[in-house]
Amino acid sequence: MRTDAVLTLTQWLSPAFPVGAFTYSHGLEAAFEAGWIKTSADLETWLTDLLTLGSAHADAHFVAAAYHARVPLAEVDRAARAFAPCRERLLEAEAQGRAFCDVVGHVWDADLAGLTYPVALGRAVAIEGLPLELSLTLYLQAFVSNLVSAAQRLGPIGQTEAQRVIRTLSPICEETAREAADGELTHIASSSFLSDIAAMKHETQRSRIFRT
Amino acid sequence: MTHQPGATLEHEASQPRARGRVQVSSKLRDGRSVIDGLAMAGSMKALFPRTDTTGLDTMLINTAGGVTGGDRFFIEATAGPGTTLTVTTQAAERAYAARGETAGRIETHLSVARDARLNWLPQETILFEHMNFERSLTVDLDPGARFLMVEPIILGRVAMGERIQDGRFRDRVAIRVGRQAVYLDGVALTGDVDAQMSTASTLNGARAMAALVYVGADAEAWLEPMRRLMPETGGVSLQSPDLLTCRIVAQDGFALRRALVPAIRLLNDDELPRPWML
Repeated sequence: MRTDAVLTLTQWLSPAFPVGAFTYSHGLEAAFEAGWIKTSADLETWLTDLLTLGSAHADAHFVAAAYHARVPLAEVDRAARAFAPCRERLLEAEAQGRAFCDVVGHVWDADLAGLTYPVALGRAVAIEGLPLELSLTLYLQAFVSNLVSAAQRLGPIGQTEAQRVIRTLSPICEETAREAADGELTHIASSSFLSDIAAMKHETQRSRIFRT
Repeated sequence: MTHQPGATLEHEASQPRARGRVQVSSKLRDGRSVIDGLAMAGSMKALFPRTDTTGLDTMLINTAGGVTGGDRFFIEATAGPGTTLTVTTQAAERAYAARGETAGRIETHLSVARDARLNWLPQETILFEHMNFERSLTVDLDPGARFLMVEPIILGRVAMGERIQDGRFRDRVAIRVGRQAVYLDGVALTGDVDAQMSTASTLNGARAMAALVYVGADAEAWLEPMRRLMPETGGVSLQSPDLLTCRIVAQDGFALRRALVPAIRLLNDDELPRPWML
């Protein structure tokens, strides 16, 4: 049984898909706490950076690298783990990856186990024969939507502004997807240093509602 | 090292390029780490300042005074079984303006044998306007080896008001234990670096940044003491019981040093290589 590619992808990347995305803030909780993000404009800039030169840019490359599998999948996965800048980023990749492998493995009868989230997604996209660039775009938009929704719980970001941020970032998601589609591991880089530091600071944050 | 105004590509291509190579290794003799092998060529030299410790310290000197387009430097350091080898630099490395397409490159390979320790503690690398600079650091650890790395980067000389509105920088770090990657990092900056690094998620306008990594069976024990040393814009994390990673952002090179020196002392038995002394 084959279903439409878009339907499969929107199911996998929907906030309702049980990978627990809503429990991770990717360091946003610490960034709000430190006052590094205060407004929806700050949030938009922060997320733009993650997409163009930061962690989301890197993760999109790992999705594509797993899809192409020019090097053994285990090696791509090891690289994804080694590239995690801190423990909570590794947790996001491992815990969501475990859940994704589990559900997609059972429901789609796919041979997936023990992979980090971007690598598991890239592999699943290849197994199901789904279009890579669309998968990357939707993956990045899901990443953005999840963090915008986290930001709404963390600061004074209204629902209209929140949707405006997601809309503004959509073309950037497409652009990053195009750039990352080669999945060349040697191109992977991330320069969102203070975002990584925020994720590290979150480890010792006193009151927290998110796991990361 | 600075580019000639009006220099053409052909003119550039005909200019001599700096080449430099240092290969150094350590071995154990009478309980002390001493030089095992040493080879030097071109514009890269190694000095061995005397120390009070049983470890071997080496200080690299780029006699070309910096790196510009087309330069090639190669550094190889190996800590032999049971030894402690500390590698630092005599001065800050400078990535100067480069004309033409060819990047200047520094390639470093470090190997650490079982029961050995290598400290890679170069001074700051200063990036200048119109740089075209590529750097790679590959570290191979035998299981049970220990490794400390500090890599500070400064965007222009702050006191001189230098800006980087155009330039290209590629940096890759790979640390492997028994051939398996445990830590990977990549930085790619192209174009208006100042503008890109002005935002809250990058450097928030700060001009200095360092990555610090410690690999060793005792890494976990250093997490709490390291956390106490962190400035507001610094973070430390334990990825696995034997891998500690840290990132610090600071306004300028001086503020960065003030944060790094106690961290180096903490993770290096209170030893600080001489060039690092404030």
